[in-house]
Amino acid sequence: MVSTLADLEIATFAVDEVVEGTQTGWSDGRLTVSLPQLAVGAGLPALAEATVEVVRPGDPVRISNVLDAVVPTVKPDALASTFPGALGTGERGCTGRTNRLDGVAVLSACDWERSGFVGPDELPDSIVDMAGPGADRSPFGATTNLVLRFVPANGAHVETVDDAIRRETLRVARELAAATIGLGPRDVETFRWPPTDHADASLPAVVAIVQVASEGPLTDTFWLGEPMRGFEPFEVDPRAILDGWLISGAYDWAAVRNVTAAYQRAPLLRDLLAGHGERLRCAGATLAPGYLDTAEEKQRSAELSAELAARLGADGAICTTFSSGNSHTDTMLTVRACERRGIKTVALVCETNGGLTDHVPEADSLISTGNEDELVAPWTPARVVGTDEPARAGEPVPTWAYLSACSQMGETTWTAVPT
Amino acid sequence: MFVTALPTIAQMVGTNRILRGVAITHPTGDPSLGLDEELSLRRRLLERALEMLATDVGPNTVWELA
Amino acid sequence: MIVHYLNQFFAGLGGEEAAGHEPVRLDGPQGPGRALAAAGASPDVTLACGDDRFGEHEADSLRTLLGWLDELRPDVLICGPAFGAGRYGYACGVLAREAGRRGIPVVTAMTPDSPGLMAAEGAAYIVPTSSNVGGMKAVVPIVAGLASRLASGAPIGDADQEGYLPRGLRTMVRADRTGARRAIDQLLAKLAGDLHTEVGPTRDRVPPAPALKDMAQARLALVTEAGCVPQGNPDRLPTRHANTWLRYPIDDRDSLAGGAFESVHAGFDTTAANADPNRLVPLDAARALEREGAFGVLHGAFYTTSGVDTPVAAAARFGREIAAELRAADVAAVILTGT
Repeated sequence: MVSTLADLEIATFAVDEVVEGTQTGWSDGRLTVSLPQLAVGAGLPALAEATVEVVRPGDPVRISNVLDAVVPTVKPDALASTFPGALGTGERGCTGRTNRLDGVAVLSACDWERSGFVGPDELPDSIVDMAGPGADRSPFGATTNLVLRFVPANGAHVETVDDAIRRETLRVARELAAATIGLGPRDVETFRWPPTDHADASLPAVVAIVQVASEGPLTDTFWLGEPMRGFEPFEVDPRAILDGWLISGAYDWAAVRNVTAAYQRAPLLRDLLAGHGERLRCAGATLAPGYLDTAEEKQRSAELSAELAARLGADGAICTTFSSGNSHTDTMLTVRACERRGIKTVALVCETNGGLTDHVPEADSLISTGNEDELVAPWTPARVVGTDEPARAGEPVPTWAYLSACSQMGETTWTAVPT
Repeated sequence: MFVTALPTIAQMVGTNRILRGVAITHPTGDPSLGLDEELSLRRRLLERALEMLATDVGPNTVWELA
Repeated sequence: MIVHYLNQFFAGLGGEEAAGHEPVRLDGPQGPGRALAAAGASPDVTLACGDDRFGEHEADSLRTLLGWLDELRPDVLICGPAFGAGRYGYACGVLAREAGRRGIPVVTAMTPDSPGLMAAEGAAYIVPTSSNVGGMKAVVPIVAGLASRLASGAPIGDADQEGYLPRGLRTMVRADRTGARRAIDQLLAKLAGDLHTEVGPTRDRVPPAPALKDMAQARLALVTEAGCVPQGNPDRLPTRHANTWLRYPIDDRDSLAGGAFESVHAGFDTTAANADPNRLVPLDAARALEREGAFGVLHGAFYTTSGVDTPVAAAARFGREIAAELRAADVAAVILTGT
């Protein structure tokens, strides 16, 4: 297809090597980062401390207390629109050019408990191992990571601190990608929505129902910078999710956490958009709330999602799940509501040692994103980044602690088999 | 028997007598009601629970307060 | 070093009349052990026990058999095949479970409905068999193959590949495509009439208890997984991943007052519950109904744990322990509340 201004073009620049230097720049696969130039945390009273460290695959390092992971991204023709709402103040679009770095990620880390913002055990462990037996659990064990470690200021309000952390993380992600402006990418993918190419009407139409949840500070999801509290299922341009409109602010249950990078990369949406006209027709994407409080609310929302999918002409729907616990009930009720309308579904769920968290007979086609209770052999890292004491050093680590290991957006290849 | 706002999970794990509770955060109460009304709701829930205990049911049965 | 467990019949000690035979230890392969030897997994020692002996004197029989296993320290234990024999299958399952706890890998074989399956609690690789001994020829090579590899420490593939019954474990592996790609492929296949799933619900069923006949005389207990505890959580009930349950007296209470009780459950917003804990454990209404004679008597304590991130095995244990205590107190029914 020939690109138009209405298309989203994602240009990918490979990063094979990250070095520290006096000037941030990208050249031929090498990203040079000037840590002082990044000035992380400067001028932000909500943050008592902010440090940056570059950590590479193979380093004997455990990154602890990880909050979010972000793919370095910039809109070169509209810098101010990068991460609209959450960071960007410019026009809100998901068209035009987006430059992205591949092979490096920006990670934020903060020990909320140590600073007294949460009680003990309120936020479960969240780690990335760069070496050792757990290195391949998190996809971020294979990227070079710029780890931003934050210490909140005493007396600051938790939302203010969290907001500052998020903005700084997104800002650094944008600045790294900005090093590629004007340069030649490895590849460019073009995404068009709605589709204009005539696809064979006999191909099945498939919609993605993406579940997100926003339960309050430290467990929020942001759409255009606003926490998504109390929303009803709605349709979105799938490219908006790819282009930084959806940002994670949720820090419980690391393995099944949808980090921001999961939305930016979203192979589910990319493959549906790219597959239009080949094996399927892409019917679009909707966002649906998880963790609704009552059975009635869950049921009503499931019905709304299914009605929306039907209105979009879907023959089939792929339902993702947000985190663990009773959000799985929201997924199952959505599956049931779709199937009752003749929309065939597949849902992505993570398993536990106790099996599935919830199930309905209509959920006859599931994708397992792994068993979050599986233990990984003990390892003692030489260093910890992100806080002072590495979580579970020298002890077996449950898979649920590894960032994104079992993401139910489906971006990793982890699954579980019966043994 | 089991009072829960998530009867599908209870059915899945094989619970046989399930009474749908009010909400996850208050299975046997409702803060939106006045005190008297709320106690009255709680009584009716318990009466329904007792009724279910005194009734033969098939597997994984869900009752409502009705 | 391979040890083989057989019942009285397969060990050549006699038929049903020898079902009470005490545990014995024999050198080398016996009975089907010879077929295993021919298939490459020759038992060095054979242990045998009468099926009835094991069933009626389980603790004693186990002590003897496990004593021998502790001495011999085998690289693998083979039990059976038991085929459709229930008592034999049960003995194989129990022995497998206990050997497993000692770190000894176990292979056994029985019909998929054998009580030995549940008894093994996932500790053994169980090869499914026919119910009669005619299946021996087919199952011996599979058992021998698994046993040899377990003995040498070689990895065992997943259940479908290797031909054993899933042990209820789910092991992480890398698929050849992302979950997203698999989801699209699987949906398109489903739309074309080809249905697959990577995972399904687990089965663990008990039949519904019969209806309570005499409610007016019945003793009723209140139990909760909503983490309801006295204010301040004096006994430190964990907020998640609980390894314990607690009980608190309510004989002198008509209600759980806000400020006197709270919820420490980490999985939900406890504001409404803390304002009025009767919203979790309905004591005020229960007391009122008790006075009116809607049921006999309210048990003198309520039971509590936090149902967040609770390992299933732990939750099952809590249920058994609380139930045992309630049965001993003649409690006829429980109202369990959950979040």
